[in-house]
Amino acid sequence: MAQSEEVPSSEGDAEERRLIDRSAAGDQEAFRQLVLRYHRLVINVAFRALGEVALAEDVAQDVFIKVYKSLPTYRHDKPFKHWLHRVAANTVTDSLRRRRPVVSLDGLEQPLVSAGSDPQDVAARHDLQRAVRHAIASLPPHYRDTIALQAFGELSYDEIAKALDIPLGTVMSRLNGAKRLLRERLGDLVRPAEEANTA
Amino acid sequence: MLSHATTRDWLIPYADGMLAVDERRRIDGHIAGCASCAAELREVRELNLLLVTLPPAPPIAFAPFWLNLQAVLPQRRALRMPRIQPYRRLGIAFAMAATAVLVAAGSAFAAPAALPDNPLYPVKQLEEGVRLSLAPANERLTIQLQLANERLREAQAMASNHKPRLAEDSLRAFRVVVNDAAAGLKNSADPKVAKDALHKLHLKLDAVERENASRGDDDQQVKQLVEDANDELDRIEQEDAVEAPPTLVIGEQSTPRPTPQPTARPTPRPTPSDDEHHH
Repeated sequence: MAQSEEVPSSEGDAEERRLIDRSAAGDQEAFRQLVLRYHRLVINVAFRALGEVALAEDVAQDVFIKVYKSLPTYRHDKPFKHWLHRVAANTVTDSLRRRRPVVSLDGLEQPLVSAGSDPQDVAARHDLQRAVRHAIASLPPHYRDTIALQAFGELSYDEIAKALDIPLGTVMSRLNGAKRLLRERLGDLVRPAEEANTA
Repeated sequence: MLSHATTRDWLIPYADGMLAVDERRRIDGHIAGCASCAAELREVRELNLLLVTLPPAPPIAFAPFWLNLQAVLPQRRALRMPRIQPYRRLGIAFAMAATAVLVAAGSAFAAPAALPDNPLYPVKQLEEGVRLSLAPANERLTIQLQLANERLREAQAMASNHKPRLAEDSLRAFRVVVNDAAAGLKNSADPKVAKDALHKLHLKLDAVERENASRGDDDQQVKQLVEDANDELDRIEQEDAVEAPPTLVIGEQSTPRPTPQPTARPTPRPTPSDDEHHH
């Protein structure tokens, strides 16, 4: 689950700090460079959460608008990327919660792990992903925000702890609780095929 | 051997690879003899598989994304009136009350010399905003330069009074004013006047940094903001220099700025602990 996108080196950190300060002072060219560094990361988080390109772009724009407005309060006391992840996760889960599930979980009784290109498989996989997204959206906020960083942001436990400013043990506890609830809510969808068929 | 209940509690961090070797061995030992926990572990892994296979977005062009974003970015709103810190809310409330009294009295007085730690400072900011918005086009640059100088006077005074956070706010606000003034400076009727104005701002920025360094605080953020502001003035001056000659140059093309390339970083693997238990 290593995150390999747009992570600055220590030299990059100094440059990034300058870009952040200049953006906070209203320099849109500096902000453009920040967005250039991180837009892919934010769009990926939004797309994993929402599953639609146009919607992901809209939500990514909302994320960057929030970032631009909040930059004057950013204090460099945590990595910008972690702060950005937190803003992105909050924004996409809010957006996800506002959208009602399109697919009923009752209609998804067959587990699916196949990556085949059969149109029926593809459609079923999309439905399954949608069910997972909405199951995440239905979690209590402290579970939802934590697992969103893992599932949509692809952050490690340690990175989640830094992004949320919580101890590592709390991350483990929350992910534990979140995944237990997800298993309950997704039911047969998370049972391996042979067990689901015999159940 | 671990109990059934303890093993179930640890299955998720186990599947996520978050347990130490000895803890993993203990879980392995239990699972080998417990069909129920083994089945539960398979479900946990199935769920993990679903979570990690949510696909990334297809490639999206940056230019249109940025143009759409830029069109809806707020226009430097927070920076003309910098961060309102909690202890300044009282000041704002007081200032609003003071404004009401002043207006009622028909007075034109509105604390033009107030510093950022003065309760009347928000009144001054409001007054400046009104003054700038009502200024005719030919006076706008003059007022912007006055405001830029005023921000630096405030920054120097705050650095002198050991209030580096307020000095930082004034320096950020300075950058906003200067950015707004950049176009006016570029198109100034008298380039020498514009150049002199930029030179004076450089000198005042240096004075802010000297004050910051000499007061024992030597706040690094102030220092950095001064450096950035100097760079900004240089950039504006260079743009002036580049764009000043009115002659048409044929056959030259602009060169795009290089884009900084990010580098990858390995993901750390922490040791487990469990200091909070939610339902």
